[in-house]
Parts: sequence; structure tokens; C-alpha cells
Amino acid sequence: MNISGTAAITGMAELKPEIDAGGRSSLGLLSEVAGRAIKDAGLKKSDIDGLLLTPPAEDSCFMWPAQVAEYLKMSPSYLNMVELGGASACAAVTRAALAVTAGLCRHCLCLSGGIWDSQVFNSREGKMAVMSRAEINYELPYGPMGFNSGYALIANRHMYEYGTTPEQMAKIAVDQRQNALANPDALFNKQAISIDDVLNSPLIVDPIHLLEIVRPCSGAAAVIISRSEEAIDMPNVPVYLLGMGEACTHNSIIYSDNITLSPVKFSAARAFAMAGLKPADMDLLSLYDCYPITVIITLEDAGFCKKGEGGGFVQSHDLTYRGDLPLNTHGGQLSFGQPSYAGGMSHVSEAVRQLRGEAETRQIENNRLAFVNGNGGVMSTQSSLILGRERNDRR
Amino acid sequence: MTEDNGKKWFKKGRTVLKVQYCPVCEKYIFFPRELCPYCLEVKPEWKETVGRGKIYSYTAVRRSSLPEFEDRVPYTYAMVELHEGIRIPTNIVDCPVNKVRIGMPVELAWIEESKDIIPVFRPATP
Ligand SMILES: [Zn+2]
Repeated sequence: MNISGTAAITGMAELKPEIDAGGRSSLGLLSEVAGRAIKDAGLKKSDIDGLLLTPPAEDSCFMWPAQVAEYLKMSPSYLNMVELGGASACAAVTRAALAVTAGLCRHCLCLSGGIWDSQVFNSREGKMAVMSRAEINYELPYGPMGFNSGYALIANRHMYEYGTTPEQMAKIAVDQRQNALANPDALFNKQAISIDDVLNSPLIVDPIHLLEIVRPCSGAAAVIISRSEEAIDMPNVPVYLLGMGEACTHNSIIYSDNITLSPVKFSAARAFAMAGLKPADMDLLSLYDCYPITVIITLEDAGFCKKGEGGGFVQSHDLTYRGDLPLNTHGGQLSFGQPSYAGGMSHVSEAVRQLRGEAETRQIENNRLAFVNGNGGVMSTQSSLILGRERNDRR
Repeated sequence: MTEDNGKKWFKKGRTVLKVQYCPVCEKYIFFPRELCPYCLEVKPEWKETVGRGKIYSYTAVRRSSLPEFEDRVPYTYAMVELHEGIRIPTNIVDCPVNKVRIGMPVELAWIEESKDIIPVFRPATP
């Protein structure tokens, strides 16, 4: 059975990321974004019978789907929480598509986001909360800097194996900032940056500079998934789910057999096979970008360029919305901000905007197909999506 | 499990470094587990390593928010591939951060960290 094109994204909303949540709560943000997404889809709250959550950043996630359903006064017939780190948002979309296709629910709301608190984030307890027992016992005694040092190990090894340069990595942050300048909702949308600006920003963990690290913040995003038959009669241009794939090869990067190879190699191949499409068919790339090296390796392993040539590939393409390879046109999380698990959803919502033709000043011209990738942990869990405006776009 | 019930894979003042090994699968195992993760059947034994390896990857940590590491920056956080073929997280000591290289041969050393003596690596003596 191929479920390509059986479900579509019919509603979407996203809050502007904020450094200071101004005393708001995770549940408060989720309720606001849920209301907006339901309105966007032309539905009533009572039409929503599926509810998928990503974990909250700092609230207790015990029975989180029920906590959220209760706060929103909803009684869904299908509910769950998806915890694949940064890949959770894409993975929630996949699970929602399965549920509506199977008839477990009609309209499934995928909700993501929450409040970010710098004191919790920087505390030892905050760090340990996102570490496995193995990481606490065998890595923490050596002073790793969480995700920063994990991706630094990857970047250094990639430079060693393939000759990738600091300039090539910096170019991703530079191009994405150009995109953010056209996004009123981006956290960093005031000032362009140059490759020199990136390379002159402080080294935090070699070879990663300050301007190559995502900024955690507060925010939320939501999408609604419906069966394609229903989507046709709903107000928005349906964004069909043509391909979906997942993969995981490790949790901590220490235990990856090859740290310069992302499991996106497998998740993307699965998604393209389901859709009957290939990387060259894509008009937009919306790739999880916690650090530039993540983008370079995702481009390589998802098949947009040859292995090891990702650095040269980004150097030879214009990644802006005006360019020949539009990538992360919302600014990416590097410039849009990383509102917790909703950072992963930002790649989905931007693809929805572009495919609907609602991206305003940053609208790309060819907008039939998008490749979206969620990446969790240190290049661990991967969830790849292929979104399209045509229900059957097999080439 | 033995060896501190798997909490720590080393004991105070060790001079040799032991890791788990499954005699049936003939595979070294890191991190320690109650059962071999390859066959999910055999209780692994502890086997001495030669305490040598090479740097698989590394990073210089220049800003640390961990209090016990704040005054140590910059320091090298690394993955070392042991002679036995498995990779472990560690620090590289007795070597300035800008002299560390991937592929560099390293040998076992021990440092005191949070009241434990933990295995780290330094550039190998020829
Ligand atoms: Zn075994």
C-alpha cells in the first residue's frame, strides 16, 4: 500500500518567536496557535478529532497529550506525543497522515512549541534533562557542550575527510540571513551578515562560531492534516503529503558508525521512493539547520549533491528565495530562531506558505514541490517529507 | 552487571582500561550493558585494552557553562578510536588545543574529575 497523496496539510499557523515570553505559558502559546490553525483551515474546534503533540520544553510532559486536550477543552479520538527531538514535528505530520488515511480521525491537529527559559536551559539540571543515562555517565565527566560539541565533532571530521571549509559553512548562515530579512516573523531580521561577520564571531566549540548556532526561544506552530478527499473542499490550497520517511542510527553521536553520514540517507530515500520523485524535482528545500554542517550533510545524504561535495555545492548556489536553490526561505532556525520543538515545525510551515503561494515578499516562483527534513539530537533521528501542490505528481 | 554496576566503566586509580566484550559475538561493547547488544543474550565480560588509539574527531571547547569546566577552557573534547576498534568520548591532555589533530596517536592517562579518577588520553610517546 502506498499512502502517497492520501493526506494533505489543510491548516497552518505559527507564532512569532520571542526571546522573552513575557510571562506566558507553554499551554497558553499552544492554545493560541491551535486556535489560529483551526481558523486557517476553515474548521471549528469540534471538527478536530486528532491531536498530536511534540514535548513541551520545560513543563512536565507526563500525560502531555491529555494535559493539552484538557487545556484546550478537546476530546480527541486519536492522541499521542511524538518524541524524536528536532524530527518530532515532521514525524507528527507523518503520524497524522497515517491516522487520517486509516480513518482513526478526520482532522488531526499537530501542535508544537513552548516556553524557553535560559536559566533552566543553562543549568546542570537542564542539560542533564536532555541526556541519556549513557551520556551522563560516560560523556558528561569530559565536559561536552551538549549539541554544540556533538556537531563540532561532526564538522571537524567532515572538514578532515572532505576538505569542507569554514567559509562554506558560514555561507549557509549568510544566505539564510538574507531570507530572514524578508521575514517579519524572524528573530534576526534586521541586519545582513557577511561571511567575515560569521567567521569573526567568537569560536564557541571549534569550528563552530557564535553566528552558526541556533538561538533557543519561545514560540509555537501548528498544522492540521486532513484526508485529501476532504482537503479539496477546504479553503486553502491543499499541500499534499507525497512522501514520508524516517530513520535512526544512534542517539549520542559517539555511537554513530560514521559521524559524517546522516541517517537522512535512509529517511530521504524512503520518502522519495514513496513519492516517485527525485531530489532534482524539488523547488524548495526546507532543512533542519541547528548548525550549518547539518545542512551540508543533509544535502549530501538526501541526494542533492555527491557525498563530500556539500561544501562546494552551497558555495556554488544562491540559497536565497531569489536564488537558484531556495533553501530555508524563512531564514532557517539560524535566523528565524529555535522555539523549542516548534523549530522543526518552522520548516514545515514555511514549505506550506511557499506551496500555497502565501510567502509574500519572499515567495519563490516555482512552488510545486518541497523537500522538508527534520533532524533530532546530534544527527540522530530523521524524518523526511515531500510536499506537493498536486496530489499525484509522480514524474 | 559488574564494574560499579555499569555506572562508571572505570574504577578509582585504574592503570588499565577495561571495556566489555562478548565472547560469542567476538565484539567489543561500549557503553557498558547488562547484555550484549548484538546477540541480546550473552552477559558481556570485561577485557583489558592496550590503552592506545587515535583521535577520530575532536573539538576545542572555548566556552563552557559547566562550573567545573569553566576555568579549564579551552580544553579538548574528543572521540578516540581504541586499538580494539571501538570509539569512546574523552579529553586530550598534555597537548595545546591547537596542536590536536584527527588521526593523532594517543595513549591512556588518568585525571581526577569530580572525586573520580577518569581515563583520558595524551599524545602517544613514540
Ligand atoms: Zn553477543
